[in-house]
Amino acid sequence: MTALLRYQAALLLRSQRWLAPVLLYVAFLGVGVRSGQPVLDSLGYSAAGLLPVTAWIVQVCVTQEPPAARTVVAAAAGGRPRAHLAALLAASGCAGLLGAAATAVVLLISEPASTDHRVEVPLPSAGLAGLLAAACCVLLGAAVGALCTRPLLHRRGWSLVATVLAALLALVTGGSPAKYAVTGLVTGSHTGTVHVPVLPLLGAVAVTTAAAALACRLTSVRG
Amino acid sequence: MGRRYGLAGPWVLRGVDLGLPRRSLVRVEGANGTGKSTLLRLLAGIDAPTEGRIVGRRPRTAYVPERFPAALPFTAAGYLVHLGRIHGLRRTEAAGRAQEWLSRFGAAEHARTPLAELSKGTSQKVAVAQALLAEPELLVLDEAWTGLDTAARGELDRAVTESVAAGSTVVFVDHDPRRLAGAADTALRVEGTGLVMASPAPAGASAGPRVRIEVAGPAGTKLPAGLPGAPVRAAAGDGALTLTVASAHSDALLGALLTARPPWHIRSLSAVPGDHDEAA
Repeated sequence: MTALLRYQAALLLRSQRWLAPVLLYVAFLGVGVRSGQPVLDSLGYSAAGLLPVTAWIVQVCVTQEPPAARTVVAAAAGGRPRAHLAALLAASGCAGLLGAAATAVVLLISEPASTDHRVEVPLPSAGLAGLLAAACCVLLGAAVGALCTRPLLHRRGWSLVATVLAALLALVTGGSPAKYAVTGLVTGSHTGTVHVPVLPLLGAVAVTTAAAALACRLTSVRG
Repeated sequence: MGRRYGLAGPWVLRGVDLGLPRRSLVRVEGANGTGKSTLLRLLAGIDAPTEGRIVGRRPRTAYVPERFPAALPFTAAGYLVHLGRIHGLRRTEAAGRAQEWLSRFGAAEHARTPLAELSKGTSQKVAVAQALLAEPELLVLDEAWTGLDTAARGELDRAVTESVAAGSTVVFVDHDPRRLAGAADTALRVEGTGLVMASPAPAGASAGPRVRIEVAGPAGTKLPAGLPGAPVRAAAGDGALTLTVASAHSDALLGALLTARPPWHIRSLSAVPGDHDEAA
């Protein structure tokens, strides 16, 4: 699995197709995150942006090989599911690094206080909550990305429409772990209380594991 | 096992029951579009059967597709090292074998060329090299010879017979009926959605060039069983034998004779021209 991960990550980095989603995310942060803003607000904003970006990176990763190269790797790896899982993990790993970097930057430049600047917010617990919320969004983004591309959707147009809709729904639907985690940060910012999203993270892990298992299983039937 | 595409698509293969023994060379024949490639992808473990299953421990497998237009952002050597590691080799080992196989196929000077800039034939050499460098237990070749130059085709023939001699199972499809003729242990034909036995070309009946080897063994020893290329035998006086084999198998046959316990002595080698056909 390590060799497969290394292969997929090298493909992603060398293909430069990671540039578009990463630049989009940087622009998104540039618009919404300013130095001296309340830390929890900014953490919620940066975590929410990670969800569609992760879905995009996942789709780049699982469609970057030509079909012939994919069959060669599948035979060597012992089946398409393993190769597909490696692509999903490599993409989620890269998105996770991006999220960790964004969280670190937000912690460094934001003001450790509530929205009305009255209550002080402890940075370590804010950082922990920010990281967990980012993890929730990366996981749900990976689930959206995995379900809205091959092997479930092969046509690029449908794939794009489904990804945009699913990413939006994952951020606004009640009960979604990502919405719960992001809302926890933003509402906590009003009173200066830090909600560490442990339950949403567990929910996101379960959802993403199920989505990845379904997608990987289907690869050996639908390609 | 059976396979169809889509939930209600027509069956491409159905009721296929096939066992692949070790140390064997299996040829799959059939007209275009009958499902040969589907069968090979099932055997290589790339796709799963729609009904039925493949039993037994999954062997270390390598697959060579017919066309390998790999527009991947790697150099030829870089790609082979990645694939070698996926096959379970260590980095230095993979790099060494990549260089070795590229040289064998006459593509050593392209090791540092990006895959996207390679010619069609050289890409195919890279595809073949990634499969052979892993020394797989099951090698699946889907018209792997297509696009290779004559020297590389001969080299691939030799590599296939060597890996069969080393104990691997090789399954191949090729449109040239003389490809590895006389060496295939089994020939299968895809007919309709099923698989039937086809008669393999008899040993020695290939029209290609052959090699005659005169050998002598220690008194009282028999020729080892299962020699590569199934050579045609004839007595040559004073205890010696002549073995005639398609020249693609001559290296593997010599290797098998020299490494047999006790080893056989090679007295002479001569080339037999290709137009001579003993089976006629």
